[in-house]
Amino acid sequence: MTETLSVPAKMPVRLRVNGQNRDLLIEPSASLLQVLREDLALTGTKEVCLLGSCGACTVLIDGKPALSCLVLAMACRGKAITTIEGLMEGGDLHPLQQAFIDKGAVQCGYCTPGMVMVGKALLDEKPNPTAEEARQAIAGNLCRCTGYQQIVEAIVAAPEIARTGSAKRPAGLMDSGPYLMPETGE
Amino acid sequence: MIPLPKFRYVEPTTLAEAAAILAAEGEDCQILGGGTDLVPSMRQGIFAPKTVLSLQAIDGLGRLEWSESDGLSIGAGVTLRRLETDATLRKLFPMLAQAVSEVASPSIRHMATLGGNLCLDTRCYYYNQSEDWKACSDLCLKVGGEFCKASPGGKAKKCFAVFSADVVPALIALKAQVTLVAKEGERTLDLAAFYSGDGARPNALKPGEILTGVVVPADRVGIKGSYLKYRIRQTIDYPIAGVALALRFGASGVVSEARLVLGGVASKPVLVKGIAELLEGQTLDRARIERAAQLARKAAIPQANTAGQRAHRKQMIHEFTTRAFEDLAREAR
Ligand SMILES: Cc1cc2nc3c(=O)[nH]c(=O)nc-3n(C[C@H](O)[C@H](O)[C@H](O)COP(=O)(O)OP(=O)(O)OC[C@H]3O[C@@H](n4cnc5c(N)ncnc54)[C@H](O)[C@@H]3O)c2cc1C
Ligand code: FES
Ligand code: FES
Repeated sequence: MTETLSVPAKMPVRLRVNGQNRDLLIEPSASLLQVLREDLALTGTKEVCLLGSCGACTVLIDGKPALSCLVLAMACRGKAITTIEGLMEGGDLHPLQQAFIDKGAVQCGYCTPGMVMVGKALLDEKPNPTAEEARQAIAGNLCRCTGYQQIVEAIVAAPEIARTGSAKRPAGLMDSGPYLMPETGE
Repeated sequence: MIPLPKFRYVEPTTLAEAAAILAAEGEDCQILGGGTDLVPSMRQGIFAPKTVLSLQAIDGLGRLEWSESDGLSIGAGVTLRRLETDATLRKLFPMLAQAVSEVASPSIRHMATLGGNLCLDTRCYYYNQSEDWKACSDLCLKVGGEFCKASPGGKAKKCFAVFSADVVPALIALKAQVTLVAKEGERTLDLAAFYSGDGARPNALKPGEILTGVVVPADRVGIKGSYLKYRIRQTIDYPIAGVALALRFGASGVVSEARLVLGGVASKPVLVKGIAELLEGQTLDRARIERAAQLARKAAIPQANTAGQRAHRKQMIHEFTTRAFEDLAREAR
């Protein structure tokens, strides 16, 4: 691609991300995904296909699921953006995040943020979704690991976790202890 | 991250303002609806406009109105999600809601607009690829090369890229009209006449024109319709064959109107010829349905430019046409 001579200057924008106003200087051609990951260091939102085919980059825009690789950041001015980093409630995991852990719905984790975001959008619309509704909701999100069943179970189980208030504080990275090689124990 | 080519971004708030910008910038300016088709193509270097003009701030394009005199009016900016969940639309034109709900995936339908679906670019294995991929051999006709590489023998001087919008066959089956606005004025045409059949320039949109919306005529109420889509996976994927059938039944099951439109099997939506002549004034029976399915199969001219073998896709058009007729015949009983 040859660059046009008049490269547009960076533009000042204000984005509302996870309830906070963020003032940024961005290129008009930047995707929302690029701004989230590279300007705001919100790397929870994953980059995979960049073509709308996988759902890993899903965020909520005004509460609705959107593929951030296909959205221009400039087009998000005045809208509320929610990323996976914005789901915790008062230091506790969101019930849906807890459900993903409880049901073993995470393997490599690459699809997980996107799966959680479409699940969250469904739960906001239908507080007690059926397994079929959960399946429909994740229909644009690919997972190469879990086989989907645990993800569906997690979404269906989330309302119960919310009712019992059994979501936990996230384990810090160090809480899991130093990494041990499975073969040698070192 | 593979960046998008650099461009200027504008977001006019009125149609007049948008038309003026387009008139001034011509083909250097590209219209952005929901971006679910344009942005991947820009990412692959297929388009590198100097200016991207978003329609999202233009108020009137979000209309979705039904009136018994004027029919169903849908603005170009209405999202597919809104169409598939609108109670009036679902009740009056269930086939349309069905076709919309088969597009891509739920998140994409939240973003995608009707205007973008109507102006969807044609697709091809040799076209929807990264620049690196394309650099490995001769370019195809649609990106400035000499021949259509998907054509039989790879030597055609016409582009055969496939038209794959799901909503369009259903709208054409319902005799929708489309309105295009430019700085000089507006024009309205049958949606069927909007498509050229040339894969390289699939529609009649002139530089500077904006598609503002469609109208489904009020007298289409009462039509029975069915949209059946064949795709590799039951989600995300584009159609590799699609059938939109619209029938009206008169007294004692006699067909009074019949229209059959195919998608995903040519460079434009195909209005199957001979269907009205075959069926109007007749009742549906096995032999007539079989004859109609044969007409559909003959009208489908898929190329080797998307998933599924050509003969198989023609066979599926035959099969889905039969199924659509049988479904509607059952409903009419
Ligand atoms: C993974 C994936 C799967 C998909 N699967 C399907 C599918 O199964 N079926 C299907 O039909 N589509 C599919 N699509 C394509 C696309 O999502 C839809 O067709 C959608 O409706 C396009 O609308 P949009 O508003 O996002 O278009 P945009 O990308 O905004 O625009 C598409 C084209 O139309 C032009 N345009 C947009 N609005 C106007 C207007 N008002 N006037 C003039 N020109 C305009 C743009 O300049 C651009 O060339 C898929 C896309 C992806 C990424
Ligand atoms: S990275 Fe956006 S859909 Fe795959
Ligand atoms: S957990 Fe690995 S892709 Fe879903």
